[in-house]
Amino acid sequence: MNKKVYKLRPSDYWRIGEHESWFQDLAVQGLHLKKMGIHFAQFVKGEPKNMRYRIDVSIKKKILPEQIQLYKENGWEYVTRFQFFHVFSSPAELNAPELHTDSAEQAYTLKELDKKLAMNAVFIAVAMVAIIGMTFSIWLLDGTPTFVMIDGGMMQQTILTFFIGYLAYTSVQAARSIRALRKDLIEGKPINHHASWKKNYRIHSMFMFLFTFIVGLSAIIPFVQLATMETNTLPEGNIDLPIVRLADVEQNPDLIRGEPTYMSDNVDWGNRYSYDWSPLAPVQYETDETGVVPGVMWKDGSGEYSPSLTTRVFQLRFQSMVDSLVSDLIKRYGFPYSPEDFVERKHSSFDQLIVHEEEGRKDVIASKGKAVFYVQYFGYADLDSVIKNIEEKMEFL
Amino acid sequence: MAYNGGPMTEAMYYVLLALMRPNHGYQLMHAITDVSNGRLTMGPGTLYGVLSRMQKDGLISLEQDDGRRKTYQITKAGEQALRIEYRRLKALIQDSKMLEEGDENE
Repeated sequence: MNKKVYKLRPSDYWRIGEHESWFQDLAVQGLHLKKMGIHFAQFVKGEPKNMRYRIDVSIKKKILPEQIQLYKENGWEYVTRFQFFHVFSSPAELNAPELHTDSAEQAYTLKELDKKLAMNAVFIAVAMVAIIGMTFSIWLLDGTPTFVMIDGGMMQQTILTFFIGYLAYTSVQAARSIRALRKDLIEGKPINHHASWKKNYRIHSMFMFLFTFIVGLSAIIPFVQLATMETNTLPEGNIDLPIVRLADVEQNPDLIRGEPTYMSDNVDWGNRYSYDWSPLAPVQYETDETGVVPGVMWKDGSGEYSPSLTTRVFQLRFQSMVDSLVSDLIKRYGFPYSPEDFVERKHSSFDQLIVHEEEGRKDVIASKGKAVFYVQYFGYADLDSVIKNIEEKMEFL
Repeated sequence: MAYNGGPMTEAMYYVLLALMRPNHGYQLMHAITDVSNGRLTMGPGTLYGVLSRMQKDGLISLEQDDGRRKTYQITKAGEQALRIEYRRLKALIQDSKMLEEGDENE
């Protein structure tokens, strides 16, 4: 059996002349076209031969036997097709008559394809606008784009948008090129069967490689996220994680854990820790913890004193993202306070320390290097207790 | 686009002309070369395109279809269109008489 060789197409599938001359050049090297896909073409290794190739457009995917028969009687063998592009070949020494002797007539063969591609392009452009709109609205919904990006949930959506963008770009290109070709033919300019394919080859293949690589990589992301993310009930005792614990802040031996209020998948979501991964923040922790001190009441008499603590911990990939993440965290978790209610403090252990303090609530954001901590605490322990705990736990990262 | 009575392409004109006698694809190509006194050779792609389009427009029809070979013939509408085009071309030639006179003067 003859060896099969696959080659990346030198340019976009709608460039007829370039492909014809490419097939010709490869036949001289003994590579004879067998099949075509959207990006690759399959060749069979054989004797070097001088061949002529012609691509004929027919909107019917299945070219009629009658047409194949007529071409065959004139020395043109049917080779293969890709979508509406049908390839015929003829040995050069046969001197077969040219398939198309009338450009204006050939222009008619492109009419249906032209219409179809134009409709395609419009359709996909509309889809692209819709998806871009959707992506941006999710992304910018609460004005914390850095947080959303780092959190990782938008990664897929964003890459999908790029992908659709690329599709839209190629559809528009295809529609424009075929329209231009049709116009040329109507004006009597025939297809150049020896158009140079080398011109775009390098750029085209580099782009294809890069594009495939990025899309392939992005396909892996959700699996990595699925495999790494995990949520468990926080044990009451110590745990070797870089997270601030309620008991450490409260420093009250009477603090106990209340009855779980929300159980799902065997996790007490009021007392849980989650581990997560994203490309921009490879280490992420999120915890919620609540407790009760029996017999002690909130000062406003609203019930039993039940302090709670929420933390978010990020180890970022790039330090340059720290500042905008810090400001997004304030926006996202600082409710109902505005960023102006948060004050910056100097602290030797942190690059940045920003706090908001009132009776019964403390918010602390601290960063050092690529690590960012956010702690929101409801209870009566003082601010320094929270800060001291962050200082200790940051060492774990 | 159905044929709207405007000027025909050369390919259309000669196919109609050649189909004044029913014929099938391959022979048609030779018939066209003959009828144009060797001036015009028509590629199979062009011929096929013209045939399928004119059939759709009702200018020609299938006389016989034995599966592999289709024999085409001109329809009434086709013949009419051909004659109108012929008259148009003839008028063109008559209008260009001055060119012939110019030739004689050289």
